[in-house]
Amino acid sequence: MAEFRVVNKGIPRKDSIEKVTGQAKYTFDIVLPEMLYAKILRSPHAHARIVNIDTSKAEKLPGVKAVITGKDTQGMRFGFVDTPRYPCEQPVIAEDRVRFIGESVAAVAAVDEDTANEALDLIDIEYEPIPAVFDPEEAMKEGAPQIHGEQIPAPGRKCAWQDWGVARAARSYNPVNNIGASVNIGYGDSEKGFADADYIREDTWVVPRTNHAAMEPHGAVASYNPLTGFMDVWLSHMGYELKRYWISKTLGIPISKIRVRKTFVGGAFGGKAQVFDHEIIAPFLSRKTGKPVKLILPRDEVFTSTNNSIALKINVKKGVKKDGTIVGQHVKLISDMGAYRGSVPVCLFLCHSMRDAIYNIPNLTHEGVGAYTNKSTTMAKRGHGSQQMTTAIESQMDWIAEDLGLDPVEFRLKNLRRKGDVLPNRDTLNSYGLPDCVKKVVEASNWKEKRGKLGPGRGIGLAVSAMFNGSGYWPFTAGSIVRMNHDGTVTLYMGQAEFGQGPTTTTCQLVAEELGLNVEDINLVDGDSELCPIDYSNWLSGGMFVSCKAGLIAAQDLKQQILKIAAEMLEENVEDLEMLDRRVYIKADPEEGVAFDEILRYSIQRHDGDPLIGKGFCKPVPEIEFYPSLSKGSGRWTDAYSFTASVAEVSIDAETGRTKVEHIWIGDDCGREINTAICQGQLQSQAVMGMGDALFEEVMFSEGRTINANFVDYEIPRAFDVPKITTIDASDPDPNGPFGAKEIGECARAAVIGSIVNAVYDATKVKIMSLPLHPEKIFRGLAQKAEA
Amino acid sequence: MELAKKLIKVTVNGEPRELWIKQNITLLDLLRDHLGLTGAKMSCISNSCGACTVILDDMAVKSCSVLAMQVDGKEVLTVEGLAKDSKLHPLQQAFIEHVAFQCGFCTPGKLMSAKALLDENPQPTEEELRRDMEGNLCRCTGYQKYIEAIMDVAQHPDKYGAKEG
Repeated sequence: MAEFRVVNKGIPRKDSIEKVTGQAKYTFDIVLPEMLYAKILRSPHAHARIVNIDTSKAEKLPGVKAVITGKDTQGMRFGFVDTPRYPCEQPVIAEDRVRFIGESVAAVAAVDEDTANEALDLIDIEYEPIPAVFDPEEAMKEGAPQIHGEQIPAPGRKCAWQDWGVARAARSYNPVNNIGASVNIGYGDSEKGFADADYIREDTWVVPRTNHAAMEPHGAVASYNPLTGFMDVWLSHMGYELKRYWISKTLGIPISKIRVRKTFVGGAFGGKAQVFDHEIIAPFLSRKTGKPVKLILPRDEVFTSTNNSIALKINVKKGVKKDGTIVGQHVKLISDMGAYRGSVPVCLFLCHSMRDAIYNIPNLTHEGVGAYTNKSTTMAKRGHGSQQMTTAIESQMDWIAEDLGLDPVEFRLKNLRRKGDVLPNRDTLNSYGLPDCVKKVVEASNWKEKRGKLGPGRGIGLAVSAMFNGSGYWPFTAGSIVRMNHDGTVTLYMGQAEFGQGPTTTTCQLVAEELGLNVEDINLVDGDSELCPIDYSNWLSGGMFVSCKAGLIAAQDLKQQILKIAAEMLEENVEDLEMLDRRVYIKADPEEGVAFDEILRYSIQRHDGDPLIGKGFCKPVPEIEFYPSLSKGSGRWTDAYSFTASVAEVSIDAETGRTKVEHIWIGDDCGREINTAICQGQLQSQAVMGMGDALFEEVMFSEGRTINANFVDYEIPRAFDVPKITTIDASDPDPNGPFGAKEIGECARAAVIGSIVNAVYDATKVKIMSLPLHPEKIFRGLAQKAEA
Repeated sequence: MELAKKLIKVTVNGEPRELWIKQNITLLDLLRDHLGLTGAKMSCISNSCGACTVILDDMAVKSCSVLAMQVDGKEVLTVEGLAKDSKLHPLQQAFIEHVAFQCGFCTPGKLMSAKALLDENPQPTEEELRRDMEGNLCRCTGYQKYIEAIMDVAQHPDKYGAKEG
């Protein structure tokens, strides 16, 4: 392919000026005339019946404009998953009982925050505590407290997937033994695989909940116009479609009358994908009062009442031949789901599907269950499924290699799939940079000189991961518009949410490359559900491959229109023309040409006023109508996979058990880096986030209460913790990606965590079966080893 | 209970102001709610993330943990006051060119911390810089590009335009 002008360069972000001057308006910065402030009263009980709620004193407090409880939102249900098999079950405000500490039980709108807080204190609630259960395995035992104990959903309720066109009606059922999700996927015969194996190994890990810890807390501003019936909302979010769908479904406002306005979003990492109670409560209160309402969650509520990542107990049994050929694998998962399903059914599926493009395992069984517990819900976090499974699978790979006397790099390379492979679900590996990722990080890190040779207390580890490039999820398409402006510049309209990951800048680069423009020649209208087309946004890392690609296709459409007019003006064939710097010229005679502004005028004058508007759209997995089966894993999942190999080098302080990560090397296959600086930033980001996951991040509970719901007790990595990070582009351009590009925002995190875990083992020879690798666990492990 | 309001005099981004305020509000509330300066952000409200950092008489402070009454008679500089006469501060320019930020939420706080540091110690070592920036959390970037950008300004003061005052 020819040299690129704009693509594959590390140019500044499109939102630079707003972000360095404080002009960027986040949800919390929105102020509207006569705006009210809302607060939510949260349950102090993990499991209790609500006997009575008395709001009379709060209602009488001067300045209070509305007080609502579960009676006002009776019957409203929401959830991330709302399929025929898994109808959603979370009430907007708790009705007859509370199921976790932090669940909403009432909400207040008042003239200022102090008054709203004071009103919360005046609400009297009589609770009758009932036995609670916090451990998923306890929850599944006979006789355990039943967290739901009622029909889900209410009879006659249509689930979201029915609204989105799936013919099957939601089943109505009463969860038994708190089981709220299950998965059973398989191919080949894992038992036969084990029978053929020379060596079998089985291990069990525990991966805890962590917090997304986006710097901007969750929040909503809603403004309802009672005369027009329009509801404007400003949210901290990852895509407007799901949000406006749920606000529409719960509040009964037509979806076309809900406008999600553009806001800057202060980080997300999966933790702002699903709709939340506060995002329904704020519009509810605005409609009730006829005034704008602002509802921003304090940091502790972000921890206790939105969502954390998904906790899993992971059991893996693997059968291997002496020569290192993997012949069978059986995975069993148990998820501590929380009081409502969250994205656990998705995660149980992804634990398999995110890893299936990596190793060729002929016989495989993948089982999992999610159990309701009296804790907050759990949700996707940056590569979920992959993040949890990679630690387990990749550390076991090292132990198998050690037991069989195999080189861990060669053992992995031997079992990798090949480019062009068709997976059991029929996904095709049209691009497969993983072997190259491994080879490049191994070389860059000087692995061969270091592995097992670094001396006491030092180690080096390798792990690999994969990631989807979008999947079937509502609204199943991304649309985009590129229109010509009077002066020959263009305006790009794109719906994808920009929360820092850079799709707006990179899509401008795609459009600029295609049209021979510079990024400065592109005006941008983004993230507003009324101004932009229907957009899938970035679910399961489909941002680049689906949504950004729609922008490129719109530019291609406009390009053809421009060339057609120019050909007419120049009396040339379209094939003989090229465009650069807002001008079309004749390839053979570059001096001869016409400017874009002239082309626009000509088009308007001679072609019935056609103002030159390009349209583009892109569907994730075009071959399938809807979505793969979460419980059986059948059906196509995604159109391309991204890959990462990570090597980490660590040193361990034997006195304290504390791990210091010295250096992380990441080899990444993102197809093609569209913005090299943004890509580096995504990899550095995941290196540091993954280090936190590996070493110290864990949301801790005591009897259902989150005990570290702040940034003092819940540490995230700080500037001084950061190791040296080397990022290596090992891309294999995908034939279906825009200029070959694939995702880069989620894949690496899992590999980084796995590589640190393996490096710590290399340094200590202590097997630690749970994350994070707290100094205490390492210290105890070393002490036990010394005793033995 | 309604608290009595008090008058304070404070210079914000070079503009002298006289404001009647409740005694229990923070400097962050003062900036955001009274002056409409929303560059400083609320994130943790526990003095632990640095998103609300502003400069108070040459010192970087977390404005969520300073009472507004404490700034009476003092000078406050926020991110909105960093660019002068439509010209970006060298740190702002360096952040842009290094593509240092992602979501941008912590960026105003980082700029103010970095400015206070460089004003006091124009040639920090990378270790000094990383230690000094410990109070400014970022979840997006992994810090690397922020550190590179600030070091670039420190090592090449003229590269992004002469430093003001």
